[in-house]
Amino acid sequence: MIPTTEPEARMPWGRTSAVVLVLVLCIALVGGLAWIVLRELDALSRANSDNLQWSLAQADVEFLHFRLELEQARHDPSRLDQVRRRFDIFFSRMATLEKGEVFRTLRADPAYDLPRSHVREFLDQAVPLIDSPDARLAAALPQLAQTAERISEDVRNLSLEGLAAFAQISDSRRTGLIRTLLIIAAVLAGLMAGLVLLSVSFFRLARLSQTRARDLQRTAGRLRTIVETSLDAIVVTDAHGTIREFNPAAQRIFGYSREEARGQNAIDLLFPATMAESLRGGQLRFLDRARAPQAHEKLLEITAVDRLGRQFPAELSIDRAEADSGRLFVAYLRDISRRKAAEEGLTIARDRALAGERAKAEFLAVMSHEMRTPLNGLLGSMQLLRDHHLTEPQSDLLDRMQSSGRLLLGLVNDVLDLAKFEAGKMRPETQPFSLPRLLDGVIETAAPMAEQNRNRLGWRWIGAPSDTVIGDARRLRQVLLNLVGNAVKFTRDGEIEIETEWLKDGRTVEFRVIDDGIGIAEADLERIFQDFETLDSSYARQAGGTGLGLGIARRLAEMLGGEIGAESEPGEGSLFWLRLPLEPTAPPARSLPRQQATRALPAPLDLLLVEDNEINRFVAREMLLADGHRVTEASDGSAGVDWAEKHHFDAILMDISMPVLDGPRATRRIRAGSGPSAQAPIIAVTAHALPEEIARFQDAGMTHYISKPLDREELREVLASATTKEPPASFTSPAKPRQVTLLDTDQIATLWAGLGLEASQHLYHSFLTETDEIVASLADAPPDQPELEIIVHKCAGSCGTFGMVALRRALNRIEMTLKRGQPVPSADLAALADLWARSRQALEAWRHAA
Amino acid sequence: MPRSLLQPTLALLVRLTLVMALSLPLRAMAQDLAPPEGEVLLTVSGEITQTNVGATAQFDRRLLESMQPVTIATTTIWTDGVQQFTGIPLIRLMRAVGASGHRLKATAINDYAVDIPSSDWVENGPIVAYLRNGAPMSVRDKGPLWIVYPYDTNPAYQGEVIYARSIWQLDRIIVE
Repeated sequence: MIPTTEPEARMPWGRTSAVVLVLVLCIALVGGLAWIVLRELDALSRANSDNLQWSLAQADVEFLHFRLELEQARHDPSRLDQVRRRFDIFFSRMATLEKGEVFRTLRADPAYDLPRSHVREFLDQAVPLIDSPDARLAAALPQLAQTAERISEDVRNLSLEGLAAFAQISDSRRTGLIRTLLIIAAVLAGLMAGLVLLSVSFFRLARLSQTRARDLQRTAGRLRTIVETSLDAIVVTDAHGTIREFNPAAQRIFGYSREEARGQNAIDLLFPATMAESLRGGQLRFLDRARAPQAHEKLLEITAVDRLGRQFPAELSIDRAEADSGRLFVAYLRDISRRKAAEEGLTIARDRALAGERAKAEFLAVMSHEMRTPLNGLLGSMQLLRDHHLTEPQSDLLDRMQSSGRLLLGLVNDVLDLAKFEAGKMRPETQPFSLPRLLDGVIETAAPMAEQNRNRLGWRWIGAPSDTVIGDARRLRQVLLNLVGNAVKFTRDGEIEIETEWLKDGRTVEFRVIDDGIGIAEADLERIFQDFETLDSSYARQAGGTGLGLGIARRLAEMLGGEIGAESEPGEGSLFWLRLPLEPTAPPARSLPRQQATRALPAPLDLLLVEDNEINRFVAREMLLADGHRVTEASDGSAGVDWAEKHHFDAILMDISMPVLDGPRATRRIRAGSGPSAQAPIIAVTAHALPEEIARFQDAGMTHYISKPLDREELREVLASATTKEPPASFTSPAKPRQVTLLDTDQIATLWAGLGLEASQHLYHSFLTETDEIVASLADAPPDQPELEIIVHKCAGSCGTFGMVALRRALNRIEMTLKRGQPVPSADLAALADLWARSRQALEAWRHAA
Repeated sequence: MPRSLLQPTLALLVRLTLVMALSLPLRAMAQDLAPPEGEVLLTVSGEITQTNVGATAQFDRRLLESMQPVTIATTTIWTDGVQQFTGIPLIRLMRAVGASGHRLKATAINDYAVDIPSSDWVENGPIVAYLRNGAPMSVRDKGPLWIVYPYDTNPAYQGEVIYARSIWQLDRIIVE
């Protein structure tokens, strides 16, 4: 029982002390009274009284004896001695009554004293007679007898009075004694009552403490049960870390009995010896300092060791407790090796699953990639087959083979895209490109198919048109081609139009691909954007496909930060929309007019083809040979480097992934060497043209790139670009919008038209002089020159005005680097001179032409 | 009073032991009693071995004086103030007569009689006084012999029984 309130707990003590006080008083009182009684008893025990009654009565008797003897002696004189003796006896008695201590009180009483004085008088008178000779005594006998008779009354009174007085005295003494005894009895009764009260109090206290003891015992019992049944080891140590308690779980976990563990140092016993010191100085340092652990120190994971030396991870929860015997540390310790193992198992399983997923995706990517290679071989071979004389049926068969091959390639590319998505390898590009030109291209590409289905195909602006935007042109084209391709597939004798419109926010362009084909049921609109969904319609079956097209389109749109959706009315047609965030920008350098790309066959070139795949090498070689070039083949990078070292080539076509030495490394070696082809243009031939990879190729020293599978037209363009001294400073592929022109002729023409001849002449010359100076100074300027940024900025501005796009960009890059406070690579500064020289050359050539 | 209760008990025990230890040698030590020459003050009879007149042992003043008398000072309830009593210790008297009884009957001239048990015959116990304040006691003055206990030195002697045994005008003793 725990006391609920303080006063209740104190009450018995207050009462007890009061009772004790009363008892002490009672005992003092009893002591005092006892002293009185004892004194009384002492008085009684002294028995001062003798046998008083007898003494007094004896006086009477002895007086009578004396008188009797007197009478007898009157007749018989021989008895005189007897008279004398009787007188003496009586005399002696009277002396006792007169002088005795016990009769002192009587003598103060006149009723006693008067007869006594009479008797004394008689005795005094008689003594001379008694002591006289016999004759005289005999003669005096009658007189004596007479006198004796006279005082016999007094003797009688004397004894009677004495008796009465003593009776009184003993009465009063008895009364006094009784009173004293009564008082004692009362005090004793009080004392008794007090004792009873005290007993009751003590009884209650005893019961209280008994109850408490029982409660404590019960609590202790409960606690013991908790400790003993705990699954966790519970270890109690004193402030020095010496084990005091070691519960059954601890015994089971550590293998020590309680007796063995007690008295040992916990850190030495329960943790590996190699860790003991670091624990003392680290996680458990509060133990040695005997301070309470802080919140973060109370729960920790630790390595423990059992009796057999098995080390296991354990979770330790520890805190300090105050006890009568001093400070204690109570630690709960749990063997978590199983949990750890489970966690580890889970991690491994998860890693395996993830690795499995990745492996699958990679497998898919590799497989589709690997499928493309033989497919490219097939398609390339078919293209080459056309160079031979074919009969008409053969040509028709070839057409079908080629279209099937392209379809297959499309499917493989779809799967590869998907795999790339899965592998998370796709990143959007941001480059300026011309939106109308992109749409023209889409229409152009889809036109043959549209014609097959007798569809009209076109695009138009809704609202204000614009030209150049920044975004990922390649992916946009892919999505639009997919949408247009679908529309074309599901429409016969209809009209397909792409509406393009800037949304109100000015940052988003909505493309709507509208057809009047068969349409899609409402219920199907949702799932057409899922992977592997094809609608069960005759057209769909007829059109074929993986069903990945729209799924990929959706993913691409999402990757580019846009949305895609569709609306449809079955039988009426469909509308697919795509909203993409694009950034309008000033029209940049315009690449060479498109028609220039379809150029005449270039002059025969001396080329090095580095390609490990035999089929690819064969296709490429045949294409090049067909165009009249001379081709030297190398089957890996190392062989390529060897050729480049000893022979001058007009250009080198370099595959990227090759055994022994890959493309970029081979390029570095060629560039680093001093062979005849060290400065030759090197064209990267790659299937994976991700932006960061292209940057890597460029870093290695490659000047152009062309993607696999090789397209004859594209190959011609790239070769032309590479060999006609077009800018090697920027990494270009002529088919891509990334191409950076050296000179924007439109820009300079506008400038010229606006200024008039004279002004433009003047400006032209001053610009050339100024820029000559600046570029020269920049070439050997220390990269940390403070005014560098201003000079570069100004120069970039003038270059922009004169349409020198490449130079302006190079300068802008330097400026940005300076703005960020980074050091400008001196190579960048040094490269400016060459760029300037070529830009200037281009400008002079244009002016000359103009 | 504790003293009054404890002490007599202890004293009694001590005395009993002494009596028992000394009784045999005492008898052997006893000398033959000379016959009395003057007035006989005390006649002892009964269970005694030493006699001088017939079957009795009779004592005159001279005989008593020859028995190494002692003097004690004490108050009594019958007298006024401290008194000097000179006499023969009872125990010595009993040895002298070779008393073998367990009590004695003392009788006075006035025929007052009292029994004194042998437990009272002890050293530092009662004496048979024949002088009071150095003077012989007359019959008028409770003489000639008075058995006096040392009341003041031994509280056990302050009881009524002892007072009753304090016989004066003693002249006969019969050992029983």
